[in-house]
Amino acid sequence: MDVATKAQILHGMIARMGGGGAPITTPDWLDFVEAQNDGYRTGPEVGDKVPDFTLSDQNGKSWALHDLMGPNGLLLVFSRSADW
Amino acid sequence: MLNRFSTAYKIDFPMLSDLGSKVIRAFGILNTNVPEDHKMMYGMPWPGDYLLTPTGVVREKTFLRSYEYRPSASQVLLRHVKDFKGGNTVSIEADMLEATVALSADRCFPGQELGVALKIGLKPGWHIYGSPLPDNYQVTDLIFDSDLIDEQSLEFPAPARKLLKALGENLSVYEGSVRALGKLRVRWSPPMPVPFLEAIATTIKPGLYQIGGTLRFQACSDTVCEMPQEIKFTLPMTVEAGIPPAPKKPA
Repeated sequence: MDVATKAQILHGMIARMGGGGAPITTPDWLDFVEAQNDGYRTGPEVGDKVPDFTLSDQNGKSWALHDLMGPNGLLLVFSRSADW
Repeated sequence: MLNRFSTAYKIDFPMLSDLGSKVIRAFGILNTNVPEDHKMMYGMPWPGDYLLTPTGVVREKTFLRSYEYRPSASQVLLRHVKDFKGGNTVSIEADMLEATVALSADRCFPGQELGVALKIGLKPGWHIYGSPLPDNYQVTDLIFDSDLIDEQSLEFPAPARKLLKALGENLSVYEGSVRALGKLRVRWSPPMPVPFLEAIATTIKPGLYQIGGTLRFQACSDTVCEMPQEIKFTLPMTVEAGIPPAPKKPA
């Protein structure tokens, strides 16, 4: 699936979900999933050190990576959105 | 937004906001399929998780091609944290061994991957078998049989090779105690009753299920072999209703 096709599918599906287009079919949905996931990458490999960072949490508190570490380390989960 | 989300779902661990996707880019996991002018989806990562050592080195990571299926935190903890108590456990007793089967959580969402741990303790002088093994012996295994589960795997440690003089054979065996770790994938179920999703997967009703399984083994000593045994068990598992959409900003 090429870049332009992915972009077209990702834009098109959102318009249709909002009720602004034709009903969604199963092949449409599978294309939508494929357009998001095709060629996915997984970042730092096992044994690599991850980039350092400082980010704010849900209460406005700032956390550096080393502040988050427990005695066993850290489980760091990347989620796509908390809004949809 | 994260405040609303963490309150709604009673989340007490830090949820970090990566505005502008700076950290996502630094990790190299920005979803580059999404065009920059896509207001809703641009900036999102390929979803996955990393288990880090206290110095920030990746110990294990899980990224799945399909975002419908997700590893559970409890599965990672069961693999890596000593004495982690997650979900339900069943004990199995046989003549020559005692075993426990433990799940990493006692509740799940459709599409989650759970951990499973099998512990076997053998009576002194007795062993069970690992792989590779001639066909006339029973290799030790654990198989779940449930409509809820669509993938499973279990990894045993490398067995010892033992020369069994009475049999005149050199076989793969476990003696003393053995611990095997594995994964159970709960089938994905459409979060919404819409025809285009129901055509892909049937809906799982939320509620309490009994997940059935079978432990198979053959216990032998240096001189005697028992018949291969199959012991059936069940483990309770609660399937939660699909995750409701994130709460919207009050109007």
